[in-house]
Amino acid sequence: MKLQSLMRPWAASLAVAALSLGFGGLPSAAQAQDLKHYDSTKPDFWKHPPPDWFLGDETAQQKGLSPKAGPATGMTEEEINAALKNIKLPKGFHISLYASGVLSARQMAWGDKGTLFVGAFGVGNVYAIVDNGGKKEVKTILTGMKMPTGLAFRDGALYVADIDRILKYENAEANLDKMPAPKVVYDDMPPYVAHGWKYLTFDKHGWLYVAFGPPFNIGLPPSGTSQIRRIDPDTGLSEVVALGVRNSVGGDVDPRSGKYWFTENARDWMSDDIPSDKLNVISRLGEHFGYPYCHQGNLPDPKYAMGHKCSEFTPPVLNLGAHVAPLGMKFYTGKQFPAKYKNNIFIAEHGSWNRHQYQGANITRVVVDTKGKRAKASVFASGWIKGKEDFTGRPADLIVAADGSMLVADDWAGAIYRISYGK
Amino acid sequence: MPALRPPRRAGFFMRIAKLLAGAVLAQAGQLHAADVQAGKVKAQACIACHGEQGVSSMQNTPSLAGQPDGFIQWQLVYFRGKTRKDDIMGPIAAALTNADIRDLGAYFSSLSPPPPLTDADPDTPRFARGAKLAQANRCSTCHGETYAGQQAVARIAHQREDYLLKALRDFHQGKRTGGGIAAMPDAVYRLSDEDLQALAHYLARFQ
Ligand code: HEC
Ligand code: HEC
Repeated sequence: MKLQSLMRPWAASLAVAALSLGFGGLPSAAQAQDLKHYDSTKPDFWKHPPPDWFLGDETAQQKGLSPKAGPATGMTEEEINAALKNIKLPKGFHISLYASGVLSARQMAWGDKGTLFVGAFGVGNVYAIVDNGGKKEVKTILTGMKMPTGLAFRDGALYVADIDRILKYENAEANLDKMPAPKVVYDDMPPYVAHGWKYLTFDKHGWLYVAFGPPFNIGLPPSGTSQIRRIDPDTGLSEVVALGVRNSVGGDVDPRSGKYWFTENARDWMSDDIPSDKLNVISRLGEHFGYPYCHQGNLPDPKYAMGHKCSEFTPPVLNLGAHVAPLGMKFYTGKQFPAKYKNNIFIAEHGSWNRHQYQGANITRVVVDTKGKRAKASVFASGWIKGKEDFTGRPADLIVAADGSMLVADDWAGAIYRISYGK
Repeated sequence: MPALRPPRRAGFFMRIAKLLAGAVLAQAGQLHAADVQAGKVKAQACIACHGEQGVSSMQNTPSLAGQPDGFIQWQLVYFRGKTRKDDIMGPIAAALTNADIRDLGAYFSSLSPPPPLTDADPDTPRFARGAKLAQANRCSTCHGETYAGQQAVARIAHQREDYLLKALRDFHQGKRTGGGIAAMPDAVYRLSDEDLQALAHYLARFQ
């Protein structure tokens, strides 16, 4: 029997309680419809996903949950300062506002001369934050892009990933007021917006690690997606370094071993508590991390396991929790924090939407050896969840500053924070 | 291995629904240090086109009255960042600060939305076709049961019919893409131009 018909009686009893939030909103009370069912197996779905593609085959329990639209103009400085008063950190650490008005702030990258570049999600902007005699000035240096979430900087050039192209802006820091015309350095990339937003990480050879998410919640991914590639922007060459990866928008090269570690957002619409989001490390070229067959290292997908066993795939280093949404991550390479933090991994967790009590929305610290063994996670900074299903901020990325403090990008507040120790 | 949880009882959902309703109300109150009065003053720059009380009588120009605060703000942010391209609104939005946008959102969302369009000689088949299309395409999932919009989603009930049709055609032709994961182009891509006309007809008159 089809799942949908099985579920029908439940759907009817849900009439009053339907939590349909649409693009983050009010329950539409009379949504006495069947549970939603999506056939994501056909190319037509990828090319023209339904507008609510981020939904999955609904369970009665999860019905109606949907991503929340944050405040369009971010939060005001007063609102942010009030919110930061509630952030809990280990003793000796402090958090303060570094810059506001950085709407939809996502990945950050440092220029050679100290400019902080910031990508964005819903707003098609790229920002440059410069220091004007102690005051941070936020310049919008690029506009009208599709979704320039990912960026990186090397040898004077800014690289921006805008869904299906990686663009290079030469001599960026000298041209913040009028960015030069970009050069397309790589475009062998699928056009799907769904999970098409990117994160860029250079390794020491100048190749970029880039993850390609599948254009749906769950399904057999179109070739060219659900993988991580290593791309040489100088030659346009690339190699696939990992398979079976769902939505990964964060990663870093281990300063100890040179290996690439990455965060991964697991599928939605199973329940509030499974499957867990992950932290992974690539140890071997072409490793398969399980998606869509197996989640969290031990949970075969109810529909897409297709006879596979979890033992066929590389397990995560760590399961971080369900719907915590780990995004940007960095190894701590600074000198300001106490010695025990050296080479720890810090992860910006963006927080839930497909869960009735939000969780995540914090900065998580992971202590782990180079092989991915003896991993221990703890919450480093928290306090951005308001009530059950609301935020006062959502950490999206992290970066270590020259003075050893750590900056946090928050796309909900449209702000950058600075976490420092001691001083 | 954790087992999948069975669906829970209806009482559970009732509880969640109540909690959620509370959360939503709290959120509406929390928005921004926006100022309706300041917004009213700033709106003097807008009413020549969008109408005295935010109800437009200009062709292809949307009414703003009663639009959700979040929707107005997001669209102004999109115009300013050129994610939404328009020769008229682009330069206007470029001059707005975040504080202006908050005030304007607060002001226009506080005005009463326009009433439904009524006809002396209703085109019942067309209205019915629009209603059917709206349901089949689940427009209310995001726009709400009364199409009054919510958060970043537009009020589409009782908007000017010519503008509704223009907006739907813009999405259909890829001229307007929408921001974030709001994929209106995909919502309408399977529809014919006649479908779009029926939807605009229906939504302008929706009761
Ligand atoms: C010269 C006429 C004109 C003026 C003045 C004007 N607008 Fe507009 N506005 C338009 C038109 C025309 C559109 C529709 C653009 C399109 O077709 O996509 C529009 C669209 C909008 C939208 C998007 C609404 C929707 O339903 O999609 C918003 C919000 C908006 N204007 C706000 C403002 C504000 C606020 C001001 C004043 C600061 C203003 N406008 C001034 C003509 C104008
Ligand atoms: C997944 C959510 C979703 C669904 C489903 C959806 N919409 Fe939308 N719609 C939006 C959002 C969000 C906007 C705001 C514009 C933007 O940012 O793209 C919008 C904008 C619009 C607009 C333009 C309003 C304006 O004032 O500019 C029209 C008209 C519209 N939708 C009609 C429809 C119709 C008709 C359907 C069903 C066929 C539909 N929508 C289905 C989310 C949705």
